[in-house]
Formats: sequence, C-alpha cells, structure tokens
Amino acid sequence: MAFGDSGGRGGFRGGDRGGFRGGRGGGDRGGFRGGGRGGGDRGGFRGGGVRGGGVTSRGGRGGGRGGDRGGRGARGGGGRGGRGGARGGGNTTLEPHRHPGVFIAKGKEHMLVTKNLVPGESVYGEKRISIEGGVEGTKVEYRVWNPFRSKLAAGVLGGLDNIYIQPGKKVLYLGAASGTSVSHVADIVGPEGVVYAVEFSPRSGRDLINMAKKRTNVIPIVEDARLPNKYRMLIATVDVIFADVAQPDQARIVILNAESFLKDLGHVVISIKASCIDSTAPADVIFAAELQKLKEGRFKALEQVTLEPYERDHAMVSAQYRRHTSV
Amino acid sequence: MLVLYETAMGYCLFKVGDTAKLESDELWKEFESPEKASKLLKLKGIHRFHSTATAVEDITALQKGKLGKGLKDFLTEEIVDKGKSKESLLVIDPHLSHSIAKKLSINVSALEGKNEDLWRGIRSQLTALLNGVDPKDLATMSLGLSHSLSRFKLKFSPDKVDTMVVQAIALLDDLDKEINIYSMRVKEWYGWHFPEMAKIIVDNIAYAKVIRLMGFRTNASSTSFAAILPEDLEEVVKAAAEISMGTEISDTDIAHIHSLCDQVISISAYRTQLAEYLRNRMNAIAPNLTALVGELVGARLISHAGSLLSLAKHPASTVQILGAEKALFRALKTKHDTPKYGLIYHASLIGQAPPKLKGKMARMVATKAALSIRVDALTDSDGKSEPMAPSIGIENRAKLESRLRALEHQGDLSGVRRFADSGKKQVKFEMSGETKTYNTQADAVDLVSTQREDPMAIAVKAVLDVKEEKRRAKEERRAKKRAEKEKSEEVGDVSMDVDGAADEDEDKKAKKDKKRKRRESEAANGEAPKAKEEDETEEERKARKKARKAEKAAAEANGDANGDSESPKKKKRKSEA
Repeated sequence: MAFGDSGGRGGFRGGDRGGFRGGRGGGDRGGFRGGGRGGGDRGGFRGGGVRGGGVTSRGGRGGGRGGDRGGRGARGGGGRGGRGGARGGGNTTLEPHRHPGVFIAKGKEHMLVTKNLVPGESVYGEKRISIEGGVEGTKVEYRVWNPFRSKLAAGVLGGLDNIYIQPGKKVLYLGAASGTSVSHVADIVGPEGVVYAVEFSPRSGRDLINMAKKRTNVIPIVEDARLPNKYRMLIATVDVIFADVAQPDQARIVILNAESFLKDLGHVVISIKASCIDSTAPADVIFAAELQKLKEGRFKALEQVTLEPYERDHAMVSAQYRRHTSV
Repeated sequence: MLVLYETAMGYCLFKVGDTAKLESDELWKEFESPEKASKLLKLKGIHRFHSTATAVEDITALQKGKLGKGLKDFLTEEIVDKGKSKESLLVIDPHLSHSIAKKLSINVSALEGKNEDLWRGIRSQLTALLNGVDPKDLATMSLGLSHSLSRFKLKFSPDKVDTMVVQAIALLDDLDKEINIYSMRVKEWYGWHFPEMAKIIVDNIAYAKVIRLMGFRTNASSTSFAAILPEDLEEVVKAAAEISMGTEISDTDIAHIHSLCDQVISISAYRTQLAEYLRNRMNAIAPNLTALVGELVGARLISHAGSLLSLAKHPASTVQILGAEKALFRALKTKHDTPKYGLIYHASLIGQAPPKLKGKMARMVATKAALSIRVDALTDSDGKSEPMAPSIGIENRAKLESRLRALEHQGDLSGVRRFADSGKKQVKFEMSGETKTYNTQADAVDLVSTQREDPMAIAVKAVLDVKEEKRRAKEERRAKKRAEKEKSEEVGDVSMDVDGAADEDEDKKAKKDKKRKRRESEAANGEAPKAKEEDETEEERKARKKARKAEKAAAEANGDANGDSESPKKKKRKSEA
C-alpha cells in the first residue's frame, strides 16, 4: 500500500536521474593522458565539457554522411554563453602556432584559437577571446577551437607537422557537416583564401549555408562528394583537400576529387575513422590499407598521427598528390 | 575539335589547335604556363549567365546531365548556325553528351576517365584562357551561384515528405516518454493525499481524469465517475476514499496537481491525434509497407534509414536488422552470431510467431518488406493514392501468414515424427524420493492483490492480521512459560526420584551417552564407549547445550553415582538448591 516509499520502483523520484547527461561528452573522456607530445598547448582543454550534446557518436555506419557531429546539442548549453571575452582579459597572451593562421591563447588555460573572420559572432557557441592587437587600443577577436569537436584541431594538437591549410590557400573541404570546423578553416585561410565546403546531408547543409552567409570565403556545396562532376563548375583548382567523410570508400572519394580539382603536388589531409571502413579489422590494419589505396591513386603519404585522446581509432593522414611524378 | 567547359560565369567553347596533343600523355605539360595553354586552346565563344536565376536553372539541368536552355541556345548559335556541326565536340559529362547528341545534331563525345588532364589543365589556366577575365569576378560568381544552388537544393529536397513522417514518429516517442514522466509525477504527488488510488486505477489517463473530477478525496462520494471508470472500480475508489490514510493537502496544492493533470490529459489527447496523422501519412507515402508491417514499424524504418528512398536502397538483410546495429557490430567484432531482428521485431507478423520461428519469420518479413518499400518508393504519388495501391503489401502479408501457419503445423508434425523414429519413448516423469506430494504449504507467500479488491475488506483484513499476530505472540509467550514450569517440575521430580531410580537412570544415561557419542564426538575419533566413566564429563560438556534437559537428569544421576567428577558436582549443587 505504501506508495510513498517507492524503493523498488526504480527511482522515479530522484530528480537527478533524468535529463541528458551529455552521454559520452562527460569529463571521463577528456583526461589528458599521455601529454608528452604536444607540449604546453595541450593542457588547456578541460575534458569534453564543451562537447555537451547527448548523442555524439558519429553515426556508426548508417549515420548520414558526415552527419552532424552531435554538435547542435552544445549550441545552447555549450560554451558558457555570451561573451567569453571577459576571461581573455588582460592576462591572456597570444602566441602563433607552428601552423600559420593558428594561434595559442595562453591564459589560465592554453587554448587553440583562430582569428575570427567575423568579429562579434560565434558560429556554434564556442568561446571568443579578445586580445590587444599590435596597435594600442585595438582588439582582435579569436575563437577557441575545440579538439573534441574538430578533427583538424585534434590533428593539430596531435602533432601534425604540416596541415597545409594556410592563409591565402584554396581548400576543398569534403564532409563539411554543419560547418563548425569549416569556420575555423575559413579563419585560417583568411579573406584571400577560399574554402569549398562539400556536404551531402540537407539538414547539415542548412547550417553550413547559414555559416557561409557570414563568411564570404566559404563556398557551400550541398552535393555528394562521390560525384565531383556535379559541382565541377563551382570549383577552381585547389591547393589542399581536407576530407572528413567517414565513409567506407573514403579513399576513392578523395582520389576522385583530387583528379578533378587538386593541383599537381598539392596536398590532402584525411581523417580516417577505422570503424567506418571496417568495424571488424584492427585499426592499424585499416590505416595501412587506406594508405595503400591512396598510393595507388598517386599519393605519397607524408605523415600519420592518431587522434587520441580526442577520438578513438582515428588517424589523420597527410599526403602529397604526385600526378606526374613518381610516387 | 571543340571543347565545352562550364564555369560559374557561363559556358565557354574552346577550339583545340593541335588535336594530336590531346591524346598524348604529356598533355599536362601544355598547361604549365598560361602562354602554352592559350596556344593550345583558343576561346571561340562564351555565354555568360545574365542572372542568377537563369544560372541556377541552367546549372541544375547540367547537374542532371540535361541540356539546359542557355546551353542549347549557345551551342545552336556557336556550332549549328555556324555550320560546324561536323566538328567534334568534347564535354566532361557523358550524360550531357548523350542529351546533346539527342537534341542537336552535333558530333559530341565524352570519355570518362580520359581527357582528365585536359579538364585539369583548363581549370588551372582558366583566367588566361578566358582572355583576362578577372579571377575575382569568377570567384564572386561561383560564391553567388553556390549559395543559390544550395538553397535551391534544400528547398526542393525530395525527402521533404518523408521528413514529416520521420519527425512525427520521433515526436510520438517523445510524447510517450513525456506522458509517462508526467503521469508518474501525478501519482507520486497525489499519492500523498490518496495513496490507495494508484493501486486501484492503474491507467494513467484515467487516474489524471479522476483527480481532475474529484479534487480532494473527500469529494469522492459526491462525484460521479460514470464517464471515466467502470462501475466496480468507482465503488472501490469511493470506499477507499473513506478510509484512506493519506495526508491532507491545501487548495493551492490541489490547484497545481490539477494543472499537471490537465497537461497529462491534453498531451495524451494530442498523442492520439498525432498517431492518426501518422497513420494517414504512412498510408499515403508507403501504402504497401504500412499494410505489411503497420504504420509504426514502417515509420520507424523510414526514420532509421533517413528517407523512404534510402530505405529502398537497403537490401532485405539490412532491413531485417535495422535498429540492431550495436548488436550487429558487436557480433561482427567478437565473431558471434549476428542479431536476427531489429526494429522489424515489433511487426505483428513476427510477434505472433512462436519463439523458435521468430528469426525465420523476421527474415521473410524483411524480404517482403524490402520489396514493398521499393514499390512504394518508386511509385509516383498518383499511383499511391489509388485504392489498390497496397495490393502487394496485403498480398504478401496473407502469404506470410499462411506460411507461418504452415511452418507451425510442420513444426508440430516433425516433432512427432522425431520421437516416433527413434523408437525411444520418453519415460513419464515421476517423483521419486520422500516428498511425493507437492507441498502447497511452501507456496503460502503473502500475496497482496493489487487491485479489484474491496479496499474496505483490505483495511479490515490488515487490522485483523495485526490482532491475530498479537494473539499468536501472546499464546507463544504463555506456552513458553508453561513449558518452563513443567521443566522445572520435572527436574524436581527427577531429583526426588534419584535415590530410588538410580540404577534405572544409570541405564538410560548410558544409552543416551552412546547415541550422543556416535553423533558428536568425532574429535574423540570413535573412542570406545566402554570408557564410560572417564568420558562422561567431557561428553557432557560438549552436548550440554543440545540436550540440556536430559543432561540435567543424567548429571544428577551421574553425580550421585560417582561423586569424584567436577561438573556433575556443580550441577548437583544447582539442582539441590
């Protein structure tokens, strides 16, 4: 009879139970193990707190191409709202990163940042930091680049020697998703460069277009990256292809696009998710197989880093396109 | 030879100076510098898009491999009208070349995989080839065009009808969750006032409605629940309200509970409305699938695949395990058996199959579902609105049902045959051992019936139970006392009798000792019972707890018989005192 003490009823009452507790994003992931490699700039990011949103797993196999990376969840709850600039304040100093266009903000924490192309606005709820510019009284705004949300940022912190994405370059970005990473790439290449952002999913493409409205150096293309002929008329020859498509035929997609748009001796940077290509084989075998496929497509592999601890079983590979010279 | 090249600005037509060079492997070298490139290719004509609208129109046609109006005009003007129809035209897209050849009498060709270096070359030297077109101009055009194209693409997304179903089924699930949460809260909250009602009215909606109608439980007797509850339940509620043990709550409390109840009621009303909408939509979008597996499972399948068209592209084996990806990949990784069913499990065809046939049934339903999905996805909307639209689904469903029946029947028969063939008859099971009968006493667990029992009776029973318990406890206590009394009397008797019946006692004691020894004194390791006199004290110490009563008597006798041992002396003293 006593309904009040609902001991056995699986705690309906405990208010603390419900709610979306940012599934995988929780702090348990973030811990900076290792830490030996990347130097000081790694320590800054606290766990996955920013990653927020509930369902973050990037679609096993069925998940829409490139899909939204659980990013939207963080939009509201993420980066602690409003102007993050206050935290930057006076005691934050800026240092250029090894890669041109990327900076490290050294305050209480060290953060990877890019110079905001559209000052005063954040794209996906990320923090912004204003830092005194060279001239007295002028402030330059930077946006924090979270390695848990962007594979490229994870690659940068993972120690890639060169990301080839630099100010003034033309970049073809395959698998642009909602444009969170694309916005940072656009920041890096600056107004002189161009980012061609290809995304197939209409839902993610919607967000991508909205982002591109503010950044005139981003050219949004809502098309299947497998069919480069469909967007051939929009794209000029590019210097770099960045691919984050998480598809089983990823290598083929990259090769097809390189054949059409990548200049000779241009570079590709590819994020490979092992479980998207074959969930049964061990990760390193898959990475080796993908590199072999790239080699057959006239690419010379230059570098490979793992994206631990930001992503599991991911590798970031850079290669050079050698169409007319031996691989 | 002419070459057609498309840009964001418009179409360009080049004339190849040296056709032989196109075939060479060193073609790319011709595009190393702007000068070399413009030597090879001469711009013959250019067609600029006049407005973004026409550009979008033309480019979308181009993307589909069709001949747009602008391109048709351009080619007619530049090639057909100038009498160059004999000259061959090179384009990138084979589909486009097909359409051009169909519409215009131009010798057009497109070789996939070949001429790649040509297109790459043109792309890299485009500004030089276009005789000094400002590259910024080109960039602005492609920016504008890409935005308009993407917007166009989103606006006329072919999946838009399916998204309504996808969103509806997602909302339906959300509402179910919400209703459950809210109604649990109602029960929890109102439970303080009238705890008995949660047990009486299990249905969440009815519970909320009753609260809405009744308010305080004191109003129960004056309220009529005829519209909500069956008669017997109504009576039970009224009776329970009379003797409820709930606390009193204030008017503001009940007001808030009321608004929560309103929420529950209105959300559940909306849920039925939404389910109706979903049914209609599913019947319109995928009539065959709906006929086969029902609208809920059908909608979940579509939602899982993203759209009906992408679901249609899945093979039946994928449809079968859609929704069980986690189990599938785990099974693949660990090399175990892959799952037999995913979302499709909830289809009624599989639900009615016996457990052994569920896997088989899931496979068959999946194959038929895959066929139905393809029919649905590739029929135009007119075809779907016909009354006979779901014929394939209905037919397949009937087929599957009869197949299931056949399988069940077969299963029974084969079972019989198997036993018959082996010639062995299974021995009838009989209980062997001491407990031959089923002990019904062991089942007597205090089961409290959850509902449909007169609460008055329950309450009365509870009171009676407590009384009964008290009475039993009292009796026990009394019995104990009595037993103690008797015991002491007995001991007294024994001590009185001791002198007379010493020998007799001695014999009894010896017997008992033997028994005890056999049972207990393993430590003595079968020490011979002959050494009675010596062992006595030890044995007594060991067994004292277990057979105190007998011991006392025995000790008495023992003490009398041989006064040299220690403990008997003590006992003797006790009993004497």
